[in-house]
Amino acid sequence: MGKEIVAMILAGGRGTRLEALTAKVAKPAVHFGGKYRIIDFPLSNCANSGIDVVGVLTQYESVLLGTYVGAGTKWGLDGNNSLAAILPARERGGVGATWYAGTADAIYQNISFLDQYDPEYVLILSGDHIYKMDYAEMLAAHKEKGADLTVAVLNVSLKEASRFGIMNTNKDGSIYEFEEKPAKPKSTLASMGIYIFTYKELRKYLIADAKDENSKHDFGMNIIPMMLEDNKKLYAYEFAGYWKDVGTVESLWQANMDLLDDKELDLYNIKKDWKIYTEDTLSKPQIIGDEASIKHSLVTQGCIVNGEVESSVLFNNVYIGEGAKVVDSVLMPGVLVEEGAEIYKAIIDEGVVVKSSDVINKEAKEVELVSDNA
Amino acid sequence: MAKVVGYINLHSDISYKGLTERRPVASVSFLGRYGIIDFVLSNMSNSNVDTVGILIKEKPRSLFKHLGNGNSWNFNSKSGGVSLLYNEKYANSPMYNHDINNIVENIAFLEKSKADYVVIAPAHIITTMNYAEVVDAHAKSGAEITMVYQKINNADEAFVGSDFLRLKGKQVMEIKNNKGNRKERNMSLETYIINKKTLLKLIQYAQKISSFFNLRDTLAYLCDERKIMAYEYKGFARCIDSYEAYYKVSMEFLDMDISTQVFKSTWPIFTNTNDTPPTKYLKNACVKKSFVANGAIIDGEVDGCILSRNVTIGKNAVVKNCIILNGSKVCAGAHLENVIIDKDAHVEKKTELIGEDEPLYVREGDVV
Repeated sequence: MGKEIVAMILAGGRGTRLEALTAKVAKPAVHFGGKYRIIDFPLSNCANSGIDVVGVLTQYESVLLGTYVGAGTKWGLDGNNSLAAILPARERGGVGATWYAGTADAIYQNISFLDQYDPEYVLILSGDHIYKMDYAEMLAAHKEKGADLTVAVLNVSLKEASRFGIMNTNKDGSIYEFEEKPAKPKSTLASMGIYIFTYKELRKYLIADAKDENSKHDFGMNIIPMMLEDNKKLYAYEFAGYWKDVGTVESLWQANMDLLDDKELDLYNIKKDWKIYTEDTLSKPQIIGDEASIKHSLVTQGCIVNGEVESSVLFNNVYIGEGAKVVDSVLMPGVLVEEGAEIYKAIIDEGVVVKSSDVINKEAKEVELVSDNA
Repeated sequence: MAKVVGYINLHSDISYKGLTERRPVASVSFLGRYGIIDFVLSNMSNSNVDTVGILIKEKPRSLFKHLGNGNSWNFNSKSGGVSLLYNEKYANSPMYNHDINNIVENIAFLEKSKADYVVIAPAHIITTMNYAEVVDAHAKSGAEITMVYQKINNADEAFVGSDFLRLKGKQVMEIKNNKGNRKERNMSLETYIINKKTLLKLIQYAQKISSFFNLRDTLAYLCDERKIMAYEYKGFARCIDSYEAYYKVSMEFLDMDISTQVFKSTWPIFTNTNDTPPTKYLKNACVKKSFVANGAIIDGEVDGCILSRNVTIGKNAVVKNCIILNGSKVCAGAHLENVIIDKDAHVEKKTELIGEDEPLYVREGDVV
């Protein structure tokens, strides 16, 4: 029996604007929120939405991401007929070795994987967004409209709209036009890069697109315009809630800071039971020393805090020495801050040792990234 | 290392007052994110004992939930794993509900094992013992039975009611109850290495002497006629044998010199995951000298405490020298000192609770 829906997460990008943070790991594997990696969000959303077959398409630095995702056990995707499958760009029979040339090409190269599950619908996701979303509700909307493609959209401000792919819609929510980063936006409905396709249609268009030598093999640039031209049924599905593309050092920092003020991303499941699942680390509870002071911060297990921490996010096994001061900062796993060091408005990458004489970014105008990979 | 199979022996008369009213000692929350049993299970796992039977005495529900399929303790899920051994037949007969009857009732576990040696250890004595070293010493000694002990000099306070060993060289001559009348004792850590064949004979022999005889009674009965070796363990050991000891040992861990003896990178303590978010410290938080698990939300003053997962400390609440278990909520302005709050309890606004001689106990789910 086929699956009703299979999810495919595009996780191959490097995310160059994250600079040194992605020097050795793919963007979806970048740490976020004190204990997570970015890809935990789409994977947990899948698990919570009742989707139990998830393909994870990898390319850049695929080993760490692949071992992290594993068989999907961390997200409970490990039942008898359930899994997370790593789908790297690879050598294929009759074709040879190829890279993923674009988002659509990545899915095209995995048609045989999809055929194996014979799904009615395919959910395409991006591996680098922070949000909580019930895809089951989006699927219900897709089915109700009898759509060929449903695109999740976020209502952004008019100013922001020129940074996104914008969906121009009719009153009934059907899409009549797609504009990539328009100078003069006609609408403020920004594509979130989340698509539900009726698989029969998707398959047809992917095969047609693969034959087109002039195509960039991209969903936004090629597949959606082609479907619009053919008068296929495309609908926008409006999502309300916290959603963030953490594409830059600044936005990654900001998204971490947002967690301190409950900006709609409810990690503590106060409004809705929607857990974000993640790796369990072998660490002791956090130990707070006699002279410590922690305010307005997130601290996770394995940390030892003896100094002052304010408005910051501390990941696993961070050590803060006595008299050290950490303000408005994100400290990735294993960061060691020696006695008396000071850190302001910075992201400190995994495993960095901040020496006791160091004062980082005292001016605190822009976010400073400190990494051994710089 | 020789092939070894493990038993975790939960048959004992120990209880922690209200904390063990509805759960066994083994699954009582400890140090914020562990269950008491995690320490002995981790020792088994770290010692490469990958097949472990848990001799469950009573109240198994929370233990079943905690252990799941045993994956969290790193046992190979195909070749090894955790077996939950429960003696339904004698569950309601206290005199018969002992370790030997449990082993007999679940004899298939032992008979099917291809192990040469059996290591038996309790959950309530917290150690970081490497059983592989003990088994090596046992094998070299040529003895069929080895008992592990620790030489202590506070036997008037700790391990009272436990057994001590009277030794002659490295041999156990007598097993006696510690009445707390002397400081220096060789305390039994209730950890035994027994050849598998010997154990199979021992349990039959025990039943012939008395149906009420448990493993400890049998060894005590036998030690003047059979050669039982003593193995001295010099590492960390604490016996959590009462409500008071639970509180005292927990608080001892807030001293870094103590906790670093147990939390070593070479000897991980495993537990199951709950996917709780990091702990959130709000603007009025003031936390000192404490252990804090994930998922807590803190806006008050916390000093000398152990907070488990998903605990809430409201604005301007003051919490000193307390142990607060999973999901409990201390509302704004409450003042708690020397209190143990069980899971999912609710301390209303401005409530004052102060434990005097022994820590005050608030039951699971209570509203106070």
